[in-house]
Amino acid sequence: MIGQQRRLTGALAVAPAGLVRRYLLSTAVYAVSEGAAFGLLAPLLSALLAGRTGEAARWLIPLAGCVALGWLAHYDMNLGALRLSSAIRRTLYDRIGAHLVRLPLGWFDGPRAAQVEQLLGRGVGVAVRTVNLAQTLIASVLTPVTIFVFLLVLDWRMALAVLVTAPMVVLVFAAAARLTDRTEAEHDRAAAEASARLVEFAGAQPVLRANGRSQGGRRLLGEALAAQHRAAREEVFGALPGQHLGQLAIQLAFTAVLVVGLLLATGGVLSPAKVIALLVLGVHFLQPFAAVAGAASSLRVSRAAVQRITSVLSTPPLPEPEQPQPIGEPSIELAGVDFGYRSAPVLQDVNLWIPPGSSTALVGVSGAGKTTVTKLVARFFDVRAGAVRIGGVDVRDISSAELERAVSLVFQDVYLFDGSIEDNIRIGAPGATAEQVRAAAYRARVDTIAARLPDGWCSRVGEGGRLLSGGERQRVAIARALVKDAPIVLLDEATSALDGENEAAVHEALAELGHGRTMLIIAHRLTTIANADQIAVLDGGRIVEHGRHAELLAAGGRYARLWAERERAVGWRLSNRSTPGS
Amino acid sequence: MSSAIWRAEPYTVGQVPDRDLAELQRPVRGRVTLAAVFQALATALSVVPAVAVVEIGRRLLAGRHDGLWPIAWLAVGLFAARLLLYAAAGLISHLADAELAVTVRQRLADHLAVLPLHWFAGGVSGRVKTTVQDDVSALHHAVAHARGDLASAVTGPVVIVGYLTWVDWRLALVTVAATAAAQGVRLRMAQRSAEPVGRIAAANAELSAAAIELVQGISVVKAFGQARAPDRFRAAASGYADAHDDAQRVFIRQRALTRATVAPATILLLVTGIGIGLVGLGWTEPVNIVAFALLGLGLFEQLTPIYSARDQRRTAVAAAHRVAALLREPAEPTAEHPRPLPDAVSPGAVLPVELDGVRFGYTEGHEVLHGIDAVLAPGTVTAVVGPSGAGKSTLGLLLARFYDVTQGAIRLGGVDIRELDRAQLYRHIGFLFQDAVLLRQSVRDNIALADPAASDKVVCAAARAAAIHQRIMALPRGYDSVVGEDARLSGGEAQRVSIARTLLADTPILVLDEATAFADPESEAAVQDALAELAAGRTLLVIAHRLHTVVAADQILVLDEGRVVERGRHDELLRENGLYARLWRAQYGDRT
Repeated sequence: MIGQQRRLTGALAVAPAGLVRRYLLSTAVYAVSEGAAFGLLAPLLSALLAGRTGEAARWLIPLAGCVALGWLAHYDMNLGALRLSSAIRRTLYDRIGAHLVRLPLGWFDGPRAAQVEQLLGRGVGVAVRTVNLAQTLIASVLTPVTIFVFLLVLDWRMALAVLVTAPMVVLVFAAAARLTDRTEAEHDRAAAEASARLVEFAGAQPVLRANGRSQGGRRLLGEALAAQHRAAREEVFGALPGQHLGQLAIQLAFTAVLVVGLLLATGGVLSPAKVIALLVLGVHFLQPFAAVAGAASSLRVSRAAVQRITSVLSTPPLPEPEQPQPIGEPSIELAGVDFGYRSAPVLQDVNLWIPPGSSTALVGVSGAGKTTVTKLVARFFDVRAGAVRIGGVDVRDISSAELERAVSLVFQDVYLFDGSIEDNIRIGAPGATAEQVRAAAYRARVDTIAARLPDGWCSRVGEGGRLLSGGERQRVAIARALVKDAPIVLLDEATSALDGENEAAVHEALAELGHGRTMLIIAHRLTTIANADQIAVLDGGRIVEHGRHAELLAAGGRYARLWAERERAVGWRLSNRSTPGS
Repeated sequence: MSSAIWRAEPYTVGQVPDRDLAELQRPVRGRVTLAAVFQALATALSVVPAVAVVEIGRRLLAGRHDGLWPIAWLAVGLFAARLLLYAAAGLISHLADAELAVTVRQRLADHLAVLPLHWFAGGVSGRVKTTVQDDVSALHHAVAHARGDLASAVTGPVVIVGYLTWVDWRLALVTVAATAAAQGVRLRMAQRSAEPVGRIAAANAELSAAAIELVQGISVVKAFGQARAPDRFRAAASGYADAHDDAQRVFIRQRALTRATVAPATILLLVTGIGIGLVGLGWTEPVNIVAFALLGLGLFEQLTPIYSARDQRRTAVAAAHRVAALLREPAEPTAEHPRPLPDAVSPGAVLPVELDGVRFGYTEGHEVLHGIDAVLAPGTVTAVVGPSGAGKSTLGLLLARFYDVTQGAIRLGGVDIRELDRAQLYRHIGFLFQDAVLLRQSVRDNIALADPAASDKVVCAAARAAAIHQRIMALPRGYDSVVGEDARLSGGEAQRVSIARTLLADTPILVLDEATAFADPESEAAVQDALAELAAGRTLLVIAHRLHTVVAADQILVLDEGRVVERGRHDELLRENGLYARLWRAQYGDRT
């Protein structure tokens, strides 16, 4: 329990220390006053049962004092819980929100994004529950301790009887909790597996039925559900000791107290009145332990949430330069860059020079490292060796604010906020005037999108921009970059099949954006590639060729082969008569 | 398009009929009731230690030392029996719950397998997961706890109040009165808390949305130089905190008052104070006070499960309703007496497909296809082209029986496909969808989906023909590599695996979407090669987006607003100088 309290401070640590101290103090006072009230019951009952009613009545005075103190402490404790919960909630949201925007973008790649959403949505609430759990835990320790002190003063033999059993209760709880943890984790794992199979099963229905001669998909799901059931059964058995062994220990303790009490009474060592009073005290001593079992499982959940929050907050942001340098001409340079996400290298000794105001197309098969190059320029991650320079300055020596000002990113999968089209463009430059936003929108051909939507410029685009097509989203992103007017643009060209109208609009919008800016484009369309000032061919994490389209074609190397493949694809005719191989 | 239950929840909270919950629980009702009886008995036995102390005390004070030990051992025994009853109740109800969960989940999975395919359109995976996993889990409280907890919450206080009344009715009255007064305040608070609790829920929903937006849009937030969390998130977070604070602050005085009234120490003071008075008056025996000091204190807390049970039951009822609604979704219509296909003239010969006056609308009154006539003659290529929204893809969906025609008929070898056994239909017609869907199992099993018994040689041959064999061999475990685990494939590679799968299924007729090849531009040519291999010798229906890919088709159907406006071969259509010619010029200028 000591260990649990140490971990609790995780959530409490973010609240003002004064509030925490006051809260813990009133909680402690309340727990002790409860214990003392039970403690005072012993001499009171002892007198009452022995027929000394007057003396018993006198014990009512300190008892009333304890009760009154308890009321005050309880009120203060509730007020404190309210203030603390509120403070912790606000602080955690502030800190996580502020910290997230400072983390390297690379950190958000993959499944982490969903975990962070969970954390912000429910995790903080769960962590805040720590405040109320502290009450239960403090009460379950301090109330019995107080009662024990009374017991010790009144009769050491009865005290000894409970002292022998109390540690056993604690030990049994700890062991049982570990077993419960293990089976619970196994059940969670099996349930997650079954959920994944279920999503797959539902998503793959057309394919499964069109190939319906087998029950393949249903069998995979059936097995996962059966495994989930087995794990659920094991969890039932695993939780059994946790739920009942503690109770068993409490029962044994009660038996010990009862036996010792009876021996003392029948042996004539203690008066019947005193024995009964002490038995009452013993029963009350054991009662709070039952509450620990309930609090333990909630505590595990809160503790896990606190840990997850702590691990986010302790993720270091990319280091800021101590003496930030200003960016000169908007050139981009990669010099001897090595990089990998894990141990395997993704880029090796990449060298690339992009003069200010020129455009460079990155080409290569998927997995060649094209996206990684753009991510390093935007400093999603830092290189392992070599350097990425913008305007001749190492990106690590540029302040993040300056870097963000200098670079616009136009992604393939553009995220739009659930607001109007105008709001989404304005994100590029929050201070832009309505005219500037409108002008950027026209240049990116967003006006035709607005014309199509029911509320024109004020139409909401839906969560993530769902109400727009992929090509339309990319046009909004281009408008964003236009209104931001950064000298460098990193662009990932859309691969999705666009219909004719969209294709033309995106093309025109890109031409607008490229005007006078330094462009690094992950290019998929043949016209984009051929029109670039420079083409860099990536293969297996290295730049194997670079130059102009005509030069590279003439060289007859990797690029020429890639180009021929793509040309062949363009001229393709579908037929059922002959195959290229035959 | 999807079923009604997802679009609108027809009931507001509290009005959802609880029939569904009772119905779902039926298979385990007996065991759940037995568990509840055990739990009620166990709760009744909880008074044993207190009663033992009081009755032993009664004898001791009377100077009688006989029968003390029997009472003590009886108490210990009964207390142990209580533990066994609790454990048995927990085991029975939880195992019943686990069994019910797996039964319901398997039933749901079976039902999903027979729902019409259009039900799955538009991505219902998340919702399916919610119903099958989360909603079934939400039944847990109703099955494993509700009845037992309620039985306890009633039995416990009844036994305690009964015993205390037998000991001393006046003191019992005082205890009950104090508890009842506090309950009254609690009830009033529960009623008045509905509104602030609703506000918290609303603020929470906004916070979740803002959190998703912050994380999904983090690159935008950062790229456009906002050094702090976006305003929406900060506003939502503080709004949520405010809602909590308001809800709490309103009740802090009442709650403090209630808790103070029924705090164990308060009741202790009350019963001992009044008890001493009664003893002084000679109206009761001192030992009776002990009973109240032991049993009178926890009465209020014992009633708590009744309150939490109400909320949890509401959750379970709503969840059961969603589960039952999914089970009630009508299954796809199956032919009651499936007709056999006519024997092919010669083995291996291909049956013709005929579209006869096909009309179709996704919703009533909105027809998308207005009478399509066409014949896919064996061994020919038919292309469907037209501006977007013309109904090209819908035609493919009808052949796959995602939907059934509303009028007219589609016939395979002269038999209406609605009268065919589905398995029969899919043995003749294969489909290649625009998105390659691979299952998380070995590459081999993915390719052999249509025929798990296929030999390794057959699987490899299909993969070779789809130009993916070498890539598969380069995977860590070759054909045994599991998709999504150690087989990480690009879009174009996944497409080629699905082409290999379709090759292995080896249906004589094939419906395919030409855009399939463009999913991964860098491997477009490789996918095209695989498609050409797949097309060889089959009857094809191609949904074409780029006209040049289908210039060699035997027949091109030009669709516009749900009608075939032109049909013929490429050069004939260009000569006609109609819609096709216009579309062609828009894409390729004057090239032919």
